[in-house]
Amino acid sequence: MSNTSHEVAQGPHHTSGAASTALSAHSIDKKFPGVLANDSVDFDVRAGEVHTLLGENGAGKSTLAAVLCGLYQPDAGYLMRNGKRINLSSPRAGLQHGIAMVHQHFRLVERFTVSENVILGSRDLPFRLNRRELNENVAAVAESYGLPIDPDATVGDLSVGQRQRVEIVKALYQGAEILLLDEPTAVLVPSEVEKLFENVHAMTAAGKSIVFISHKLGEVVEISDRVTVLRNGRVTGHVSGRGTADTRELARLMVGRDIELNAQRATHATGHEVLQIRNLSLSINDVSVLTDISFSVHAGEMVGIAGVAGNGQRELADTIAGLISPTTGSVTISGSMTTDCGPIQAREVGLAYVPEDRLGMGLVPSMSILDNLLLTRDRQIVVDRVSVRPEAARLIEQFEIKANGPDHLARKLSGGNAQKVLLARELSGGRGATKLLVVCSPTRGLDVGAIETVRRLLNDARSAGQAILLISEDLDEVLSLSDRVLVLYRGAVVHETPGETAQLSKVGAAMAGLASEGRS
Amino acid sequence: MQIPFRVVFEQRGETPRRLSLLVPFASVVAALFFGALFLLATGYSPIDTYTNMFRDGFASFNGITDTLALSTVLICTGISAAFAFQMNLYNIGGEGQLYLGLIGGAWAGIALGDHLPTLLMVPVVLLCGAIAGAAWIFVPAFVRSRLGTSEIVSTLLLTYIGASLIKHVIYTPGSFFRNPNTSFPQGRMVADSASLDSFGSSRLYPTFFVALIIAGALYWVVKRTEFGYRINVISDSPRAAHYAGINARRTTMWVMLISGSLSGLAGAMLIVGPYGKIEPSIITLGYGYAGIVVAALARNNLGLIIVSGILFSGLRVGGNNLQVTTDTPIHIGVMLQGAILLFALGGEAFRRYHIHIVRVHEATSQKASA
Amino acid sequence: MSADAIAIATTLILAALGALFTERAGVLNLGIEGILLTSAISSFLAADASGSVWLGLIVGTVIGAVLASIHALLSVVFRANQIVAGLALVIFGTGLANFLGKPAEGKTVTTVINPLSFGPLSDIPVIGPIVFGQDIITYLAIALAIVASRYLFSTRPGLELRATGDDPATVDAQGLSVARIRIRYTMIGGALVGLGGSWLMLAQSAGWHQAATTNGLGWIALALVVFAGWRPMRIIFGAVLFGFTLQLPFTLQAEQITFIPSAFLEMLPYLATLIALIALSRPGSRNLLGAPRALGTPFVRDER
Repeated sequence: MSNTSHEVAQGPHHTSGAASTALSAHSIDKKFPGVLANDSVDFDVRAGEVHTLLGENGAGKSTLAAVLCGLYQPDAGYLMRNGKRINLSSPRAGLQHGIAMVHQHFRLVERFTVSENVILGSRDLPFRLNRRELNENVAAVAESYGLPIDPDATVGDLSVGQRQRVEIVKALYQGAEILLLDEPTAVLVPSEVEKLFENVHAMTAAGKSIVFISHKLGEVVEISDRVTVLRNGRVTGHVSGRGTADTRELARLMVGRDIELNAQRATHATGHEVLQIRNLSLSINDVSVLTDISFSVHAGEMVGIAGVAGNGQRELADTIAGLISPTTGSVTISGSMTTDCGPIQAREVGLAYVPEDRLGMGLVPSMSILDNLLLTRDRQIVVDRVSVRPEAARLIEQFEIKANGPDHLARKLSGGNAQKVLLARELSGGRGATKLLVVCSPTRGLDVGAIETVRRLLNDARSAGQAILLISEDLDEVLSLSDRVLVLYRGAVVHETPGETAQLSKVGAAMAGLASEGRS
Repeated sequence: MQIPFRVVFEQRGETPRRLSLLVPFASVVAALFFGALFLLATGYSPIDTYTNMFRDGFASFNGITDTLALSTVLICTGISAAFAFQMNLYNIGGEGQLYLGLIGGAWAGIALGDHLPTLLMVPVVLLCGAIAGAAWIFVPAFVRSRLGTSEIVSTLLLTYIGASLIKHVIYTPGSFFRNPNTSFPQGRMVADSASLDSFGSSRLYPTFFVALIIAGALYWVVKRTEFGYRINVISDSPRAAHYAGINARRTTMWVMLISGSLSGLAGAMLIVGPYGKIEPSIITLGYGYAGIVVAALARNNLGLIIVSGILFSGLRVGGNNLQVTTDTPIHIGVMLQGAILLFALGGEAFRRYHIHIVRVHEATSQKASA
Repeated sequence: MSADAIAIATTLILAALGALFTERAGVLNLGIEGILLTSAISSFLAADASGSVWLGLIVGTVIGAVLASIHALLSVVFRANQIVAGLALVIFGTGLANFLGKPAEGKTVTTVINPLSFGPLSDIPVIGPIVFGQDIITYLAIALAIVASRYLFSTRPGLELRATGDDPATVDAQGLSVARIRIRYTMIGGALVGLGGSWLMLAQSAGWHQAATTNGLGWIALALVVFAGWRPMRIIFGAVLFGFTLQLPFTLQAEQITFIPSAFLEMLPYLATLIALIALSRPGSRNLLGAPRALGTPFVRDER
């Protein structure tokens, strides 16, 4: 167990050559079938520094991070730690060198308590575990970095922000000097992000090195001492100096061209009410998941639902789509009550649904594109694949889906292409012409090209008169695309504002439950 | 202990055709090879054993007809297993469902046999056997779809209960199913109208073709019909099934019931075919479990089961005769059957994954493909 | 309870503990029935040939571990379907056991382990013989259950074991070898089953009856793990209960209650197990409370 106290190393504001390089990577190559994820990448981080790896999805930053912590082994190149060459054959080896990664998808055993999770894998543990003593030790480490946690709580009961804290404590407990944080703010509310940044400062003040991996320009600029930008596996630039980095410059390095940072909100006219939600409430296992929600969406209008993941978004989408029956309240689509009728009825009156879980729920991985197109349609006793084939081919072309034809298996599609297949299917109507499109996290995990395409498709659909309900954890996306924004917190709508005039501070506060130091 | 090698399993996008055919073949060869070593070690001749097995299974008139006759049953129990397994429903109780099919078919044959002509009687017997099999799986199917109870344990327990039932109906004096004319406990013969003749002097019955037709029909159902579509969706992604409004619970029940009825049908086929009555020795033959092996070897592909069913039957028939023609005990045959399945399972890994051995070295890692 | 019923209960405890360790690591070993049979006959042959019951027990235990290692190899290294692999093992094990058992047909065990003597304590009326008059293996089985409980919940390796069955990805991320843990506990589980199988053979006065020797005990052991919610102490409870259902036919006979057909009595243990299993199920997916979440799923590190 490492509870060492460090001499306070050079603070982050003294970025001169005097701070020692804690970890460096030289000419790293990493290949996967069909793609060169890292191409001759150099990177280094100093003690007491926050160095951000910036890049869009698919740029290779997660791969590089995995190489830095020992999860992957590079195909070429090498790593150096404190001036000595090292070879990390596994994350364990990385940990032995004091390098730890906090993953985007937490590696925590939900059934275990916080301290059980923190100590799991720790080599210095005695054979017999003294729970009380361990709890004390874990709490002490957490306190020293300003990360209060309850060692006896069951991880499964914790919020996302708390779980992240557990992950950080785990890394520190196991002696990490260099922490790699993979997209840590993706799951946090604006006030939790502030807290995280405070913790990061505390750690760098103690001499730790932090590698921040992100695609969010705004935050990156605020937190980093240095920024290295990756694009298509290559380093395209370094930027240093806190607060002096130019977001346009960074965006250009990220994408290789000037991009429109604010997506256009298309001009349009709104029509009749397509979706009407009245007093919708849902309880699961006596826990209130949705509380008295009412709103409507009109033809040609895009309503965005903002909120941190886990506040009822998925349940709301599923309820509207007819997958869940609400406890009370009603769902009306195109004038017909679809509340307890199931997804098939909902689709017959014009519902289309692109779920968050693309390949596990929206598409059947082992089936072809053609069979997936049939998923939401009326099928005869003997399935007629012949007459759908030409339409499938047409959609592939129209939506520019990269595939070998209608028989291409869904699981072999890239994230962006899978999303295009889903949109193609949902927009082209199934059991009835599409009137309402419910879409969740449409651009998560996609590269910039695909993101632009998807947003364009959504805008086009809106211009064509569709009613769109956009549910996304990407606040920027919701604010920039939607005509109206509703904020969901703990299953209730707590704030409503037109998209154009939305104020980030108010929206952020609402997302956190109106408490200024948002602790859920 | 630091091993300087790391074995990497990389999931294949798709398996080359060549490999798909090579792997099962190689598995059988590997199993036979180790079997030969075992035989040598225990003092038996592998050459004698294997040639006799092959001859008795595949190379003589009696051998071929006996093989095909056995495959009638094993194809049925095989598709019974495969149909359920493809949906990750592990109906291990085909054995018990077969016993019940025997009882159901015998009941029809005894009770109704004198009232109906053969043309009607045989289908009625088969139907009754199928229904009995379905009834025997009903409870496990129901609790599985409603409560999530493990069908593995429930169907298995019912097999043991079914075995007791068979013994009960034969050994109880005065039982409906017991031959009233002998003091030695024996099954009661069904009426003539419920009994078919075999082909010529062989032990092969027309029910063989029934098995083939059913296998083919179910293959078509899974590939081309709505029911089959639903099965495919649910087995790959229950969430997608929910999303599409497919009632997984109902489909699960139907799949299980069909699976049970197929094993029941196998039992009824024994009634109209070779048995003509309930044979208590059925509980030692393990036809239901053999069906699971047949299904596993065919990778749950309903078309391939015909092939694996016939091949596996040949192996059993050849093995059964061993004790007569050589002094190799019959159990070698059973061991070989288990060994072939074990090797086939191992071989699957080569089909599904691309395996390399990576040497973990100093600076960079070098790959040496295996 | 009769001596036979206690011996069976002891075997159940051991086999169920073996299954519990294996399943806690995330591996489903349905081959237990085959392992029981093979270790039973091996221990018998070894004891018969050497005259030493202890040697028989050791041989049976080792055989159990060896057979389980085949399952471990297939399930962990080759990522085969664990259910089919287990069944293959049962078939193979049954064949092997019958093959080895040919020379032993009809023979009975001639050497017996004497019950431990606790002196005057076993003379206490009623509970004396029950609590203090058992065989050492029975005490060992109970002791093992207690040790297993402490191991699982209060030691570091126990923590790692529980984590492996619940969330192997996390264990892997910590740099521990999921494969090594799973193989280790599958083999330990197999050894325990082997010990149980040996005891079944050597403790009873009955001889070798091929598959009827175990009569589905392996499957009951698997069900027992489910009832016990994968907790060792509860296994003792379940095994004792099962022992009672086995005892019932003899008790009824002694009390002259003969109207219940023997076939029904024969199926009673299985029926009771089935009913109990269903009664303990709750609606919802994967109702098995306390089941290791990754049970039966091969672990493949998500390389992209």
